[in-house]
Amino acid sequence: MAIRSARPKPRRQRTAGRGVCLAITIIMVLSLTMLAGCPGKKESDVMTIRFVTWKPNQPEAWEEILRIFHEENPGIRIEREIGPHSSTAFHDLLTQKLKNRSRDVDVFFMDVIWPAEFAAAGWAMPLDDFIAAQEREKFLEGAILANTFENRLYGIPLFVDSGMLYYRKDLLKQYGFKPPVTWQEMADISGKIVIKESKKGRYIYGFSGQFKQYEGLVCGMMEYILSNNGMLVDREKGVSAVTGKPAIEAVRFVRDRIIGGAAPVGVLAYQEPESLDLFIQGKAVFHRNWPYAWQIANDPQRSTIAGNVGIAKLPHFPAGKSYAALGGWQLGISSYSEHKEAAWKFVQFLASDRIQKLLAVRSGKAPTRKALYDDPEVLKANPHFRDMKDVFLSAYPRPVTPLYPALSNILQRYFSTVISDRQSDIAGEAENASREMNKLLSMTQ
Amino acid sequence: MKLSLIRRERLFASALTGPALFIVAVFAFYPILFSFYLSLHRIVLGLPSLGQPFVGFENYRELFQDRIALRSLTNTLIFVFSTISCELLFGLGIALIINRSFRARGLVRAAVLVPWAIPTVVSSQMWRFIYNDKYGLLNFLLFGAAESRYRAWLADPFFAFLGIIVADVWKASSFAALLILAGLQTIPDDLYEAARIDGASAWQQFRRITLPMVKPAILVALLFRTMDAFRVFDLVYVMTQGGPADSTNVLQFYGYKKIFAEGLMGYGSTISVLVFLITLTLAVFYIRLVGTRLFREQA
Repeated sequence: MAIRSARPKPRRQRTAGRGVCLAITIIMVLSLTMLAGCPGKKESDVMTIRFVTWKPNQPEAWEEILRIFHEENPGIRIEREIGPHSSTAFHDLLTQKLKNRSRDVDVFFMDVIWPAEFAAAGWAMPLDDFIAAQEREKFLEGAILANTFENRLYGIPLFVDSGMLYYRKDLLKQYGFKPPVTWQEMADISGKIVIKESKKGRYIYGFSGQFKQYEGLVCGMMEYILSNNGMLVDREKGVSAVTGKPAIEAVRFVRDRIIGGAAPVGVLAYQEPESLDLFIQGKAVFHRNWPYAWQIANDPQRSTIAGNVGIAKLPHFPAGKSYAALGGWQLGISSYSEHKEAAWKFVQFLASDRIQKLLAVRSGKAPTRKALYDDPEVLKANPHFRDMKDVFLSAYPRPVTPLYPALSNILQRYFSTVISDRQSDIAGEAENASREMNKLLSMTQ
Repeated sequence: MKLSLIRRERLFASALTGPALFIVAVFAFYPILFSFYLSLHRIVLGLPSLGQPFVGFENYRELFQDRIALRSLTNTLIFVFSTISCELLFGLGIALIINRSFRARGLVRAAVLVPWAIPTVVSSQMWRFIYNDKYGLLNFLLFGAAESRYRAWLADPFFAFLGIIVADVWKASSFAALLILAGLQTIPDDLYEAARIDGASAWQQFRRITLPMVKPAILVALLFRTMDAFRVFDLVYVMTQGGPADSTNVLQFYGYKKIFAEGLMGYGSTISVLVFLITLTLAVFYIRLVGTRLFREQA
């Protein structure tokens, strides 16, 4: 019988015992050496600011930035703690530390959807006393909005990301079209080009974007809804707005004209990489993505359409204007920091004109200071910023609430449900989602 | 003082089982009890100002009215039922084949185990590629070069769900086969010999000898697979994230999202407790079933 024959033989047991002894010895030796290796705290006049960050793509740029800061502020030392690259994993690490009121954190990076959560939890300190109103106005409006919770500012945006429309310059030119201004135009143009190309034996799609059930779906759908004068959450009343007529219309447009229309049905399973693949293989006329796609799409090693890529603001509905979902990273200061003044000095330094410029020139990050979009050096290093300025100016944050992750899951479920099925009952599902959203939102009031 | 033999034996026995019990207590009982404790509270990580009030069975009441939880429970049940039936069927078939003697049997037996040896996260990723709508193997096999007919399997609620079932069956059938093979090997050859002499057909041999004798092994496989299938998580996490249209949302994934993504510790724990209770019930039920069988055979 299978069960009874599983009785271990005596000899196996003996070796197992020896293995355990060995393991225990190793653990003990290791822990002893680790204790011995712990450096004692040094007494000195130099103040240490601990900065939780991720591994940058261009490490040299950050080395340079820290060198400049240390030169100018001999009394402050920045010690970096490098966290994981994935936003979710970074969130886990950082919140773990802040939950435990760790003193090892002074300054940290926040993803654009976290400030409200960090503010409500009391982890990030309000920065209003540090920064004057007129200084604030020099930043992109949407980026400041994303860092504002209950009328107070909890983070300083360092660089931004935002949704934008990529298109095939060559195809549009060949068939005599201009970049579309409205979503309807985009759907019409892509339909015409797809038919004309197929007559030449080239099978392509009109559009590729991200419609899988995940965070990116909320970004994408928000762009459609806002550009029809709709909203996800009513900013004044703090209640769901997905049952509003503009929101419903926008969702219906996506279901009827984008999914399985301009875009292949497969986009329902696409995140950024898959949708970008389709575009750089020359199989889509239009593509919605974040700014990082620009360099990949123009890299002849990876892209079959390098040099033929154009960018524009996302289209809008006839009644509305173009909106782009806002992404990007902010700097926050821990409420438990013992050196808040010095921490602010560092944050101020990082968010200053010259450092943002350095980041833009050296690592292609889109700055949060409006003035830099007219700076010749920045534009020389990033010629596409000229076209993107408008995009960044219109970038809009996702709903600002400490329960954003839960809200996002409701929205993801709702959007995915209604756009995956041609016969879906949009109004009914919107009612359901709305009820759940309001229940959640009422918890924070 | 001299202890009686029986007391010494008992002491020795508890000394031997002590460490194992301790480990089970720390790594199984404590987390389960703590989950239960959490499930009686309202804990929202993002809103520490709410505190952690005791709410009694409020979370449970909410859970039974939660249409998404109900949907994911239904999904889980369908998943469990369909994967287990396929896995046991295929497992039995594979076991019967590799129980015969033929050339390179050792090689085939090892090969059968390969799917089980691959970590689920890796195999899920692999299946995701197979189902891909542009370069996936499945489309190529079905439609060849006719790219215009390629389908986006994971974008369709029905096929996405079918997709994770197939991936699970592919992986776990070999595990069932392994357990059933162990059972097959305990059947003495003389039984078949006697049956042959009496003129029993192959089907009769299978019905009257193989099946009854291998039943306990099948029950063990059933027990392990049901409990495993109930806790399905990695396939969904890697392949679909619960979508599209929430069609592949299963209980464990829903609970994970509630706790780790949404920070609803109390409510998420309630879901975990529910999954625990269901698997516990199943386990007790099966073990009694297997136990009585073994007992009867021993007697």
